[in-house]
Amino acid sequence: MLAMDQGVVEEWLSEFKTLPDSAVSNYAASLKDKGALVPALYKVIRENYSDLLEPVCHQLFEFYRSGEPRLQRFTLQFLPELLWSLLSVSAARDPHTSGCIEALLLGIYNLEIADKDGQSKILSFTVPSLSKPSVYHEPSTIGSMALTEGALANHGLSRVVYSGPHLQRETFTAQNRFEVLTFLLLCYNAALSYMTSSSLQSLCQLSSRVCICGYPRQQLRRYKGISTRMTVTSEFLVQLITGIHYALCNGEVELGSKALDDVLYRAQLELFPEALLVGNAIKSSLHGQALKSNTKQGARSIQVEITPTSSRISRNAVTSLSIRGHRWKRHDAVDLGSPDELMEISEVDEGVWPGGAGPDMTPPTITISNSVTTASLGAKAMKKCRLGGRTSKDKDKEASLSITGRAASENTELSIKRLTLTSSQSVPKAGALSSLTRTASAVFSRSFEQVAGSNAPPSGNHTASEAGRYSCSLQEDGLGYLSPVSNHTQRSPSISVHLGSDL
Amino acid sequence: MTARKSGSRLETEIERCRSEGQWDKIPELVRQLSAKLISNDDLGELLLGECKLQTYLKENPIKQGASPRGPRPKLVEVRKHLTAALDRGNLKADYLQEASLLMAKLCYVEGEYRDALDHYSRVNLDDLQLVGAPVYRLSMIAEAYATKGLCLEKVPAASPSLSNKNRDQEIITCYEKSGDIALLYLQEVEKVCVSGIQNRSPKPGPTAQDQELGYFLETGLQRAHVIHFKNGNLTRGVGRFREILRAVETRTTQNLRMTIARQLAEILLRGMCEQSYWSPLVDPPAVSPLDDPTRQGHIHTKSYNLSRRPRVYSGENLFCPQENTEEALLLLLISESMANRDAVLSRIPEHNNDRIISLQSASVVYDLLTIALGRRGQYEMLSECLERAMKFAFEEFHLWYQLALSLMAAGKSARAVKVLKECIRLKPDDPTIPLLAVKLCIGPLHWLDEGECFAKMVIDMGEKAAEFRAKGYLAIGLVYSLKATDASLRGTQEEYQRKALGAFQRAQSLSPTDHLAAFYLALQLAVSRQIPEALGYVRQALQLQGDDVHSLHLLALLLSAQKHYHDALNIIEMALSEYPENFNLLYTKVKLETLCRGPEEALLTCKHMLQIWKSFYNLTNPSDSGRGSSLLDRAIADRRQLNAMTLPDFSDPETGSLPSPLSSPSSPSSPVFILLPAPVPPPKPPSFHPPAPSHVKAPPPGRPESNPRTLLSPGSVHATSIAASRVEQALSEVASSLQSSAPKQGPLHPWMTLAQIWLHAAEVYIGMSKPAEATACTQEAANLFPTSHNVLYMKGQVAELRGNIDEAKRWYEEALSINPTHVKTMQRLGLILHQLQRYSLSEKVLRDAVQVNSTAHDVWNSLGEVLQAQGNAAAATECFLTALELEASSPVLPFTIIPRAL
Repeated sequence: MLAMDQGVVEEWLSEFKTLPDSAVSNYAASLKDKGALVPALYKVIRENYSDLLEPVCHQLFEFYRSGEPRLQRFTLQFLPELLWSLLSVSAARDPHTSGCIEALLLGIYNLEIADKDGQSKILSFTVPSLSKPSVYHEPSTIGSMALTEGALANHGLSRVVYSGPHLQRETFTAQNRFEVLTFLLLCYNAALSYMTSSSLQSLCQLSSRVCICGYPRQQLRRYKGISTRMTVTSEFLVQLITGIHYALCNGEVELGSKALDDVLYRAQLELFPEALLVGNAIKSSLHGQALKSNTKQGARSIQVEITPTSSRISRNAVTSLSIRGHRWKRHDAVDLGSPDELMEISEVDEGVWPGGAGPDMTPPTITISNSVTTASLGAKAMKKCRLGGRTSKDKDKEASLSITGRAASENTELSIKRLTLTSSQSVPKAGALSSLTRTASAVFSRSFEQVAGSNAPPSGNHTASEAGRYSCSLQEDGLGYLSPVSNHTQRSPSISVHLGSDL
Repeated sequence: MTARKSGSRLETEIERCRSEGQWDKIPELVRQLSAKLISNDDLGELLLGECKLQTYLKENPIKQGASPRGPRPKLVEVRKHLTAALDRGNLKADYLQEASLLMAKLCYVEGEYRDALDHYSRVNLDDLQLVGAPVYRLSMIAEAYATKGLCLEKVPAASPSLSNKNRDQEIITCYEKSGDIALLYLQEVEKVCVSGIQNRSPKPGPTAQDQELGYFLETGLQRAHVIHFKNGNLTRGVGRFREILRAVETRTTQNLRMTIARQLAEILLRGMCEQSYWSPLVDPPAVSPLDDPTRQGHIHTKSYNLSRRPRVYSGENLFCPQENTEEALLLLLISESMANRDAVLSRIPEHNNDRIISLQSASVVYDLLTIALGRRGQYEMLSECLERAMKFAFEEFHLWYQLALSLMAAGKSARAVKVLKECIRLKPDDPTIPLLAVKLCIGPLHWLDEGECFAKMVIDMGEKAAEFRAKGYLAIGLVYSLKATDASLRGTQEEYQRKALGAFQRAQSLSPTDHLAAFYLALQLAVSRQIPEALGYVRQALQLQGDDVHSLHLLALLLSAQKHYHDALNIIEMALSEYPENFNLLYTKVKLETLCRGPEEALLTCKHMLQIWKSFYNLTNPSDSGRGSSLLDRAIADRRQLNAMTLPDFSDPETGSLPSPLSSPSSPSSPVFILLPAPVPPPKPPSFHPPAPSHVKAPPPGRPESNPRTLLSPGSVHATSIAASRVEQALSEVASSLQSSAPKQGPLHPWMTLAQIWLHAAEVYIGMSKPAEATACTQEAANLFPTSHNVLYMKGQVAELRGNIDEAKRWYEEALSINPTHVKTMQRLGLILHQLQRYSLSEKVLRDAVQVNSTAHDVWNSLGEVLQAQGNAAAATECFLTALELEASSPVLPFTIIPRAL
């Protein structure tokens, strides 16, 4: 490290300490004028043993804690480099663990998982639905198709949690490491537009290295650092891909596409469907689009062209839209009464169905999944009918209303039911047992209050009844087990039959 | 044309033809018009000029990006008409303006930009009335603004007085006005069309689909945002996109909206982030990182007003996105519905091109949907969207593959495998696809035969599979290993174990740096009780991946098999420091603590587990927190989540039953085992010889084919034993993947875990001879799963502890009626029958147990006792020897507690 860099960093370290609170905002704005500072800080982070690392990490954390967005982003831009430093040290089983980097990352994590009142922060978003009017559309003009398909499953808007709540973490363990890092990347991705190209480059490098170290591809990339394999999780890769996608579209074409390839390579080896899914989609959506590489600093390469507004599809081609008209006409052929038209229709139909592209024949595609579940449930329900369980029809209806994040409230709702049971029935007798059971009961009743408290005001009744119903099915499942016939073999044929017709 | 039309009707007809662009009818109408009144001649000239110009443009459309081509002979006539109309000056002011606008347009087409601009400055476009104007004039004005913009772009900045920035601004304003008026025009023309169709239903004019925007309107609608983006002004570009999209849709704008919606979604996903986003209904931030920093000082707000604007979507409770993913999703769903509608279904060769176009536009939308939903982890919704893409998917690998992956990510494993099969057909050379299928078959589905097929596909690819070849061997090894566990016949079991071992060895030699290969090789050796060899490989695995939880767990179990309980406990504690919430490790810890430090310590661990359970499952339930606040929202969301929960793809009837991690050999050190007095049986002649265990040198004494019934009887209940083992496996997976990415497999797992914790506690209490406490713990588990065979088994244990042999027998029989192959229950029942001196029945039960699990040393021991009691000393000795040998390599918990998955 050059003496000059060291000087810059030391100046930066001392400067902020003496800064009065009122000057923080101006200081934050002036940071970007310090051209030599950021490269010097990168050097500090890369050289793990630098004496400056600890004060630098400390100051970066102070920046983050200040709450001033520009200072927070200043810290965030080093996140990829910090992650790499942490991961490479732990992969190399270096005894000189970079404790201050761990502390910095955990510090940012613990700040971000809580809101201003110290409550666990929950990140959620609304899943839009075409069946509700929006600033961009009117449900009636979308046409019946989209409504029949989507509306049944997603009637109305629903709010979905995509991250949180998270536990406070004091240390990194093998178990929580990627949970924490994934969340940190989520924070980084939320500020992507503010990241400099050096930060994006660092992200691409991090992605490549994490994914290829220890694999044959490492030779291909001619990376000679550590060569032990690093564990990754699918979510972590998805977050990396999100960042890479941004880099790829905003100037970092070469590094970005390399990084994307490397992540996909690893996702294939690990058989991670989530990462493969998103990575493939990005690759395919960028396919054929000439991405402009970053010729001038800061240029974002998003461009659009004037596109012809008329339909590029010739009018006599049979489309989903037109074919519905045809079929409708055929049903009402008597009214139309034109034999010519009828001929034409049947010709068109014949031209289409054997072609194999006629999923439109069976009504909405979404019912494919429903019918399958019905099939498996049907068998299940039949066995259970003497138990007076719910009918398969009910289940089917509900099946269509499935969304993700489901494991979520089920548990709470279950716990309501279950916890009332346990707390009322398990009266601890005496002695050593009571200590254990009491803990558990206390544990339960507390969580019960919590759950009840959060649920009660708006829809207490509803939830209770739901929970009751659910626990009912729980017991059914247990009883259904009595039947000695394995369901596994029964079920698969029924599924394949359905698929055969639908797909 | 026959009948002459009266004046006003004629004018209406002309107006209609002009707004609908039916230029071919104009000459005839003009003939009728001039026949009526001389003063109409000028108007006639105007109309003829217009219709000839428009017809020319229709026949020779200007292409985007191409420059006009200069004077054309055909246009001479047009100029003559228009000059005539303008020169005589008899026209009404409105028509005069129209003539000037047409003249300007003609000038543009001929490349005379300055002349065109002159005409525009004479008319002063901003003075033209929008309110009350006939529909066709709206289109004229829109075109005029667009043309003016085009001319301004062509003409070099002539007057230095105008600064460049103002000039740019003027151009953009021209286009923006043009676009707004064009949208208004299209809305109006559609209104007219609709009412027209209603009025004269039998003969609708050309449908609105025929209406094409033409070069000028297209330019007007789109050029503004193109310039914004070219200038690096993302903020205004996005703003313009939103304005266009907020205008109420018309049939003509559908394609434009589809394109723009997709483009805006692209920008939201590629160029924006949560922090730089602003909602469509609020003002954009004054300074945004999205804008090119080198071009400071843009005017962000719109700088013009129109007397009439296009209608926008309005009403109460309009959904307005608040986040970039929300907006992107909304736009993509709109785009998708349109793309979907245009799906070309016919497969005749003439429509090939159309099909490709419709496929391309749809697959871009689906890719973007995947990016948006994947980011937010909404794989369930994604899989539903991608199913709608299936109408495009015939022979399209990408769509099939994406659907398969989304189904997999959404936990719909069975369907995912079916779709993966199609993917394999379309792309037989890709080893990843069958491997993904094996992953599902081994994991949630437990379709071992299918898994074997898929794994063989990978192996058959040979060298082509490159790095995936080792993975293929690993996969098939796992399939065999699981089959061995499921197998009820020892011969089959041994065969599969041998095959599994071979496959793992192959995988390990192909990929010596893969810790999984070494680990599974070690696990398989451990299951076959080759403890020292297993230790060697598990060490190797740990060298490659030092903090792998399963390797650490296996190491601990191997040490416990060698009776190094303290070392094992140390390893477990070390592993727990890295994986503090791993229940599998904790179960093992309870067992080891009971042995090393006494039951009190073990009870503390049980208590600790309950605390972890509580904190873990309480916290990871985001259920109520983020949902909409209205009662209805909540109700819907509640219902949905409930439904989702009852129907995990993985779910089978068995899910409800409690898995049995203890179903395989019980530990020699189990408190129960130690506490119970061994019953002394009276001798009786043996009926069958006991079958020999695998990998134990004691050979079966004679008559190996013994009685077909003993061989068959486990087979008849084999189905349930598979079921039980599946559940067991599923549970151990969940226990180990609590923190991991795997979609939570079902709502019951937390409760299964809880029940299991209680059962472990009960077992510790039984070991302490405290029946009351054990009963209480068992009752907690029974509250959760009253019909679990494990609960019933534990009740039997307690009854035995209390000395109620009959009650215990009843519980055991109940447990076996639920899971007829629960080895530990069989062993206890065998012992009780022995005590009751029903030797042959006892022997039968124990023999069945040995068939199910030949490494259960306590069963061998009991069998020996029964045989001894029956007087078959030789066979008894064999059994005792076997038991002794097996006990020497028996871990505290079965090795199979460690999950096996790809």
